[in-house]
Amino acid sequence: MTTFGTMGFEELYEQYESENPNITIEANNIDTGGNARTDTFTKLAAGSGLSDVVAIEEGWLGSIMEVSDQFSDLRDFDMEERQGDWLDWKVEQVTDPDGRIIGYGTDIGPAGLCYNAPAFQAAGLPTDRAAVAELLGGDDASWERFFEIGRQYKQATGKAWYDHNGFVWNSMVNQLEEGYYTADGELNVEDNAELQERFGWIADASADGLSAAQTAWDWNGGQAFTDQTFATFVCPGWMLGVVQGQLEAGGGGPETGWDFADVFPGGSVNWGGSWLTVPTTSEHPEEAAALASWLTQPEQQLAAFEAAGAFPSTTEAQEELAANPTPNPVFNDAPIGEILVDRSQGVVAQFKGPDDSLIQENVFGPPLQKLERGEATEEQAWQEALTLLNDLVG
Amino acid sequence: MTSTIKAADAASAGDAAGREIVRPKLTFGQRLSWFDVKASPYAYISPFFLLFGLLGLFPLVYTFVVSLHEWELLQGQGDFIGLENFATTLQDRFFWNSIFNTLSIFVLSTVPQITMAVILAAILDHNLKGKTFWRMSVLLPYVVTPVAVALIFSNIFQEQSGLANNLLGVFGIEPIEWKRETWASHVAIATMVNWRWTGYNALILLAAMQAVPRDLHESAAIDGAGGIRRFFSITIPSIRPTLIFVIITATIGGLQIFAEPRLFDVSTAGGVGGSDRQFQTTVLYLWEMAFFRQDFGRASAIAWLLFLLIVGIGLINFLISKQIASAEGRALNKKTARMLAKREGVSA
Repeated sequence: MTTFGTMGFEELYEQYESENPNITIEANNIDTGGNARTDTFTKLAAGSGLSDVVAIEEGWLGSIMEVSDQFSDLRDFDMEERQGDWLDWKVEQVTDPDGRIIGYGTDIGPAGLCYNAPAFQAAGLPTDRAAVAELLGGDDASWERFFEIGRQYKQATGKAWYDHNGFVWNSMVNQLEEGYYTADGELNVEDNAELQERFGWIADASADGLSAAQTAWDWNGGQAFTDQTFATFVCPGWMLGVVQGQLEAGGGGPETGWDFADVFPGGSVNWGGSWLTVPTTSEHPEEAAALASWLTQPEQQLAAFEAAGAFPSTTEAQEELAANPTPNPVFNDAPIGEILVDRSQGVVAQFKGPDDSLIQENVFGPPLQKLERGEATEEQAWQEALTLLNDLVG
Repeated sequence: MTSTIKAADAASAGDAAGREIVRPKLTFGQRLSWFDVKASPYAYISPFFLLFGLLGLFPLVYTFVVSLHEWELLQGQGDFIGLENFATTLQDRFFWNSIFNTLSIFVLSTVPQITMAVILAAILDHNLKGKTFWRMSVLLPYVVTPVAVALIFSNIFQEQSGLANNLLGVFGIEPIEWKRETWASHVAIATMVNWRWTGYNALILLAAMQAVPRDLHESAAIDGAGGIRRFFSITIPSIRPTLIFVIITATIGGLQIFAEPRLFDVSTAGGVGGSDRQFQTTVLYLWEMAFFRQDFGRASAIAWLLFLLIVGIGLINFLISKQIASAEGRALNKKTARMLAKREGVSA
């Protein structure tokens, strides 16, 4: 069993093992999705070494779907009965052209806005999560509005508004109906007016010093979350677990004042989400599928949500969350389940092409960083992105 | 008649026997020991060659085959495209960038490393108190795995609150962006390499120094040669073969640096060596090509080009380091000759 990041399965393994005495789970969790990608690809290429159950992520699903025949068709097990449990698009994403379904959906990535209440207070902004949602435009929240409030904040405190450009850009791209690829798999970056417009917004925000230019997945060893280096943070459900981990790493906790608001600039978005697959190299495909299927049952999805904030992809678990909101002590008792259910309304995942994660990290990553460090103008940065795209993908 | 003929025959046979070496029929045991003497040495060294064939030569050739094809990581072998992968790689700016980084880190690590190692070895070669303690301490960094070294150092070189910048701050120096500035990042990575390898090389050089006959030193000392003079004129030329070995292994290692830059900044741009590939070495680029960009064909071409580069630099290295010691020897000879000439003149 190979997973990555914070998926919240640890306690579930123990439960499953005690309920199924003949099954032993060897859990292997990889720190980030990027490293899990390398691990999975390397083992796929080698033709051996993959676990019986392997978690895969939306960002690199495109590459996986190109070799979908290396994964078991879960319709051979219990997929046909379970198919209706999930949101339709969650199943569609892992269905290949031959109709084979290769993954049990775990979480999806609807996003809300994490914000630091004391930082808001220092700038004279409202701190109550409903008022913050209202401030940013509620249902009509737009990125323009988000940056405008950011400029006010910057003026009042002199500090940065959000952590770094990359995540804001990811959110924007994921919001589009079609991202780096069109729905039929064509590259869709050059002359993409929607992308270019959003790139311009980020360039302006960077020029005004709204980005804290942090290194993602490091955040100065978590300290940036505890010392108000920035005031807002884009939070897909699974990111809440990351924030919690960073707070711990940085020696902070609930007293740092992070909260979670039911609003997202530019409307609803799906960012990320994972599946559990059973590679054909597995020697125990049946047991593996049974475990993967069990882990993605609504009940277990709720447990994983409790543990790590991974937002469930089954409709039943989502209804449960909406009906029984539980406060989360790390985020000032915010009912994150209920909020995320709200944030997931109308969310549909975008088609991910084979080089999606490469484009995200290595084509747009460097120019976005140059923007927030004031090393490039919008025009230069966009040109650099196109050059990189040409060199790396073209 | 018959008897004479027989006699003549016997005589000629006798003559022949006298001229030629007599080869008595060998017993089985003798044959066996003859075979043993002639063939066993090859049998004894064959495991290396068998293993080398399996783990060295075969991958080398196979990599070349892969480099001639379109070859995707996940989809496998594609069309045969000849040397196109090599051509693309040679025109690839990131390839040349990685070569530049590799050479820069190589120089920054190998030169100070070997200089320090020679000095350390020379110090350890003296009669220190508790010499085992000192020798072991020098080797200690080598015991730590490169991954751990990289993690520790990447923390030290953390830009916002790392040890290195804090120390610089004490002296009022502005924090350095270790993971963004090309030179700073090269220095940081070279530091990791040096920290790990200096002691190891020092011990190898120390072993060679200990093998230098003491009477050479003694007689030189009697002749009035000082410590430094003896070091350059006796120690260095005497450890020449070891020095060459150390330089060549350091070169090969230096050109293959991977773990340090890979782990120096794992989160930026997928860990390919900095946001703008400031410290992406060639092996790291190879890794990116194979496992990030999934182009196995081009990755294999990079591997081959790197192999050629290492062989080339290794050769240059070998020639230069051969010069070092022999030039030293020649200079010595000239001087001695002059001195001898002088003395002769005086005595005459």
